[in-house]
Amino acid sequence: MALLNRMDWYDLARTTNWTPTYVKEEELFPPQLAGDFGIPMEKWESYDEPYKQTYPEYVKVQREKDAGAYSVKAALERSEIFEKSDPGWLSVMKAHYGAIARGEYAAATAEARMMRFSKAPGMRNMATMGCMDEIRHGQIQLYFPHEHVSKDRQFDWAFKAYSTNEWGMIASRHFFDDIMMTRDAISVGIMLTFAFETGFTNMQFLGLAADAAEAGDHTFASLISSVQTDESRHAQIGGPLLQILIENGKKDEAQRRVDVSFWRAWKLFSVLTGPMMDYYTPLEHRKQSFKEFMQEWIVSQFERAIEDLGLSKPWYWDKFLADLDTQHHGMHLGVWYWRPTVWWNPAAGVTPAERDWLEQKYPGWNDTWGQCWDVIIDNLVEGNMAATYPETLPMICNMSNLPINYTPGNGWDVRDYPLEYNGRLYHFSSEVDRWVFEQEPERYAGHMSLVDRFLAGQIQPMDLNGALAYMGLAPGECGDDAHGYKWVEIYKQLRKKAG
Amino acid sequence: MALFPLTSNVEGDFVLQLLPVDTENTMDEVSAAAAYHSVGRRVKARPGHILRVRKQGATEPLPRTMTVAQAGFKPTECIEIIWEKAS
Repeated sequence: MALLNRMDWYDLARTTNWTPTYVKEEELFPPQLAGDFGIPMEKWESYDEPYKQTYPEYVKVQREKDAGAYSVKAALERSEIFEKSDPGWLSVMKAHYGAIARGEYAAATAEARMMRFSKAPGMRNMATMGCMDEIRHGQIQLYFPHEHVSKDRQFDWAFKAYSTNEWGMIASRHFFDDIMMTRDAISVGIMLTFAFETGFTNMQFLGLAADAAEAGDHTFASLISSVQTDESRHAQIGGPLLQILIENGKKDEAQRRVDVSFWRAWKLFSVLTGPMMDYYTPLEHRKQSFKEFMQEWIVSQFERAIEDLGLSKPWYWDKFLADLDTQHHGMHLGVWYWRPTVWWNPAAGVTPAERDWLEQKYPGWNDTWGQCWDVIIDNLVEGNMAATYPETLPMICNMSNLPINYTPGNGWDVRDYPLEYNGRLYHFSSEVDRWVFEQEPERYAGHMSLVDRFLAGQIQPMDLNGALAYMGLAPGECGDDAHGYKWVEIYKQLRKKAG
Repeated sequence: MALFPLTSNVEGDFVLQLLPVDTENTMDEVSAAAAYHSVGRRVKARPGHILRVRKQGATEPLPRTMTVAQAGFKPTECIEIIWEKAS
């Protein structure tokens, strides 16, 4: 029997809107879930997805992708990547799996909301596959690290992290809950697929894959590349959606959602991916600096995407570009200094050779973050370990839920961006974080940062041990210097030579 | 006398930190408490200098003997701890 070509029947087959007679339209598509943009149903039917795929095609391709990734893992299981990798690279894996794996499952829920409640049939079809993508990503990114759990409890955080009150996970959940778990189908399409996935997942899944391949971790490289092939498909859900919104006079609403999500994603990547690329990845395996990756994968691609659609660059674009030079250095310094509070072992990444690289990639690094590291290194060299651990909490931004930090040393420009709202003093790490809050204050006002919880007496006893227990960090899971401070020997030798 | 939370921002450091003080602490005591969490940890001590407290954005430091209660800070308000040449 002759089969029709896919494009001869695709449009008809996925045109699944009908006129409901037993229920009203708002019952079939409740505004809270479907999005209430006042755009009539027939307009949504013009949604034209750029990536047309049928279910049988999807199954065939996905099966091949899984077969590829799992085969690489099986073939390399005896390669002793755990035993042979630089500890800094193991930290990249631990941080990645914990931060990402179960967030992928959560993303399946968000895709499912678009699948059921979007009024655009083509969007529902894409989101159906997107939902299955995210389930695959959750499963595969839990399965792959599992082989390491018996060797190192920190790998157990691939599963555990998302359920804890560890500070980074509070930040991560606050962001993902905001953009994908508590928004209507249209807003999810804009904030998750367009602003976050188009904007940022390339960075985590392709940029990092390049570093993984350089580091000899082909299992991880093939896994995250495989994930990204799905991301790059379902990330396209947002484009035609934005076109419909703009054509129907809703550009401002669309732009605001893009601006909020892009900024919030940037903050999260500055603490997750920035340190991985510029500090944890062994120097000889770094393909590009974090800033260079950001410029190539995000700045140029995202700029083109928003301009093609007729949107504007976010109002804070210049500030974002300036932050590429700065923000992640403070995030890294903070993660290292508060290292018992993370589930991986941060690599300091500040040997003389690494500092030369940082100075070359980020001129002025030694005069700023280097000044802080100088004091830390002095303490390590002199065996004054107590001074290299914190005795208080960093102040946490009430939007990003990350420590409020900026440039130290001779370029000192650290400050608070406060806001009093309904009698409560909120703290933000930038005018943009504060602007996000001001867009929908009631949405965010009730959330308590880790510091708010501490001051409210929710963390007992009110010390480091109490904080670690509150964050779910058991002995054997708390972070410490990835290389066991061996790198400090270089400085000891230098001091000896200098007399 | 009551425990009072402030946010400290020590000149030269990279991060804001939670700083528990007492309402009866003087500004000199506040700056010493803030220094404990920054100076010698991530900020080099500056011989011949003292640390002064000012409100964020202010140009003039608060009097050294002024207490937290007298300064009228809001809970968790961010204060700047600035190096000043000792006279």
